Amino acid sequence: MRTLLGRLGGLVLTLFLASIVIFSAVLLTGDPISALAGGAKPTPELIAQIRADFHLDDPVWTRYWLWLTNALHGDFGRSFVYKTDVVTLVAPRFAVTFQLVLLTVVFILIFGVGSGILAATRGRAVDRTVSMLTSLGMALPTFVVAILLIWIFAKSLGWFPVYGEGDGFWGRLWHLILPAISLAVLFVAYISRITRASLVAQLHSEHVDTARVRGIPRERIFRVHVFRNASPQILAISGTTIAGLFAASAIAEVAFGIGGIGSLLVEAAARADLPVVQIVSLLLVTIFVVLNAVADLVSALIDPTSVAGGSRA
Amino acid sequence: MKRTALTVGALACVAALTLTACAPRDGSATNGGAKDITLVDSQPAGTKAVDEVDWAIVEGEPATLDPASSANLIIPNLCDNLLSLQPDFSIKPGIATSAEFVNPTTFVIKLRDDVKFWDGKPVTADDVVYSLQQSMNPASQWYGAFALVVPDPARGIVATGPHEVTVHFVAPDSTFRDALAGQGSAVMEKAFSQAAGQALGTADGGLMCTGPYELAKGGWKPGSEIVTTANPDYWNGAPLVKRLTYTFVSDGSTLTTALTQGDIDGAINVAPSSLAAFQGDGAGTLTVGHSTASYSFGPATATGAAANPEIRQALSLAIDRTQYLKTVVNGLGYAQKTIVPEFSFQSMDAAKTYQAGYDALAAPKVDIAKAKKLVQDSGEDVSKPLVLAVPAGSKEMQQTAAIIQSAGASIGLHITIDEMQASDFGALFYDPSKRAGIDFVATQGYLEVPGVVGYPSLFTLPEDKGGIFNWSDYDNADVTAHMLAARNATDPETAAKEFVAAQKVFAPDMLQVTLAGTYQLTYLNKKLTGVTTSVAAYSSPWALHLGGK
Repeated sequence: MRTLLGRLGGLVLTLFLASIVIFSAVLLTGDPISALAGGAKPTPELIAQIRADFHLDDPVWTRYWLWLTNALHGDFGRSFVYKTDVVTLVAPRFAVTFQLVLLTVVFILIFGVGSGILAATRGRAVDRTVSMLTSLGMALPTFVVAILLIWIFAKSLGWFPVYGEGDGFWGRLWHLILPAISLAVLFVAYISRITRASLVAQLHSEHVDTARVRGIPRERIFRVHVFRNASPQILAISGTTIAGLFAASAIAEVAFGIGGIGSLLVEAAARADLPVVQIVSLLLVTIFVVLNAVADLVSALIDPTSVAGGSRA
Repeated sequence: MKRTALTVGALACVAALTLTACAPRDGSATNGGAKDITLVDSQPAGTKAVDEVDWAIVEGEPATLDPASSANLIIPNLCDNLLSLQPDFSIKPGIATSAEFVNPTTFVIKLRDDVKFWDGKPVTADDVVYSLQQSMNPASQWYGAFALVVPDPARGIVATGPHEVTVHFVAPDSTFRDALAGQGSAVMEKAFSQAAGQALGTADGGLMCTGPYELAKGGWKPGSEIVTTANPDYWNGAPLVKRLTYTFVSDGSTLTTALTQGDIDGAINVAPSSLAAFQGDGAGTLTVGHSTASYSFGPATATGAAANPEIRQALSLAIDRTQYLKTVVNGLGYAQKTIVPEFSFQSMDAAKTYQAGYDALAAPKVDIAKAKKLVQDSGEDVSKPLVLAVPAGSKEMQQTAAIIQSAGASIGLHITIDEMQASDFGALFYDPSKRAGIDFVATQGYLEVPGVVGYPSLFTLPEDKGGIFNWSDYDNADVTAHMLAARNATDPETAAKEFVAAQKVFAPDMLQVTLAGTYQLTYLNKKLTGVTTSVAAYSSPWALHLGGK
């Protein structure tokens, strides 16, 4: 329980510090006037009006305080470009990104952890093959995979759509498969390597040797002694990886024309839509911190001794 | 005066070319470029009803749909202008059955009596007065066209009958009628617009217009799509498409794939660089139509080499237009002699006079020796590099910048390129402090209605007379006199002669070095037809006749 409270405190502190960093970083990115004026040629009066409305001439700390107090009341500001509440803008798009990440995670866990286990336990030839494939996977950036997938599965074979997020459960799934694969490839390779390394380390550890000598069945040794001991590390890395996926999804979203928070962030940044950039950045930080905390807690449940070492986030 | 979009960029909402839809009418022409191109300004009207069409907006999501403060390809299907612009750039009656000067400074607009807004309320003279007055606001992008209207709202634009509006001018204005075919005359419901206030045109505020497609409450989901539905009671016949949904795809290759795979039904202003993909075996076909769009660059400063016409002439002589067209627009364009393209006047009353004036201008050609001599004789200090600003994220603009840079290098001018983010680039056009340190700005612009006076006025007249982009402080008494005389002319022929006289002087001074005129490229699914495929799409309901084949 104390760990949980401590984590919560850490979470709040991290978010507070992150909000300050994000707020100031975003302010340094230039004058939002043209975004606010929305395409028209603003008159000096209009510019003055906008500056006053959005407190553009107030000191930074006043603006931060204003933003923070509003944010605590659930008001994260209005988009400079769309003039609507940023929460209504971000919420539906977050759902899309979340689904994309979820599907990607399924792929990563099945193929990443699966191939890692195979590599660690099925002999040299399998190990070599997996190692070669993961080297290839790690060398392929997401956008290259996206182009290859579009070319092969969408253009040549015509099996999958190339644009949009689709409607309904099956439509959505069908639209998200290629983007999820393109996102997953790099991380599958990464997780596969981590899994293999952790398992191999455990397989060569003393307690496994002892268990083997005591005649415990192979399968049980693997389940109880090897996999369980390797899990915390795999989970911890997976937590960070999944958190990273939320940011990395921008590449797949843009390539496949999916309206998620990644593509929103890219677009908002280009149009100097600061409130949107702020909330999406803060959301990404929150996801990162929360997922790491969750990964640590789950590790602790699997192997209570690992808590002492769990210092992440 | 016409509005010209000068902001360009991957994500800028006001960008480039055009397209339109209207009456089915096939016009064709060939150009003498690398290969012959058949130009089609409108496709045959659709004949079958269609439930749903997904349309991609290449320029990105607009900030607003308010016709007074935005120009994009969605508004023309929502809001009617008083006069109806045809695909060939001629003007026909629309909501206004007639709109004429009854004496040199009095203009009378007669309205149809059967036009209703989406909510069923009839269009009254009061609504039209209110709508036109929006363009009298200096913040409106159509302000220039209304500059000669009596500024007092009580005496300038007034209702003179239930279906009649009279506009009083301080001086005759030969350009006003053409402007009424553009968005400056978009008809909005007064009561609805006033109630919406600042939110008018946004996702929250909505719009109330008369066009063939309606923007339903909640139809605009910011950041994802804008859903519009057929207006069953449209005065000019209900459209065949029940739902026309706009999505926003600014990534060129994503769009190309989505279009050729049939995931998206159509788009206007698709990238010329994807020509091979569009002409290949895909879900749709590419239509090439007339446009008034062009690429150009001009001075951003009143001091230094860039402000000197001889330096600009030298650069123009160093740029191979054939090579430019091949590189930047894949051959889908033509060498344009000056900033006013031929298509903008081809359907005007005095078209012959304008054409003769255009034909008399020198065609751009390469002459490096002459260019070098011009640089030497200019007496300008060319040891310091000249800075050229272009919007970031546009492949065409990057190529344009590279070509200008290498042309400069070939004649001893050192040019550096400043790629600016869309919002910063946009700010160049109204914030002089942002132009500090910039010598040239490269842009893409188009003229959305017929007429020749407005666009060059922005660059050639003194600032107090409307030259808001005249950053080099160009001031030629002859040009100013002829341009003002053209605008104040009371008959088309005089206006044309005065304009041609002005053009003869300002064209060689290259206030914009015109690099190429381009065509309007529209990609449409093979099952569909009926889109206006010329630049008239920016000012007319281009999807009115859209439907199944």
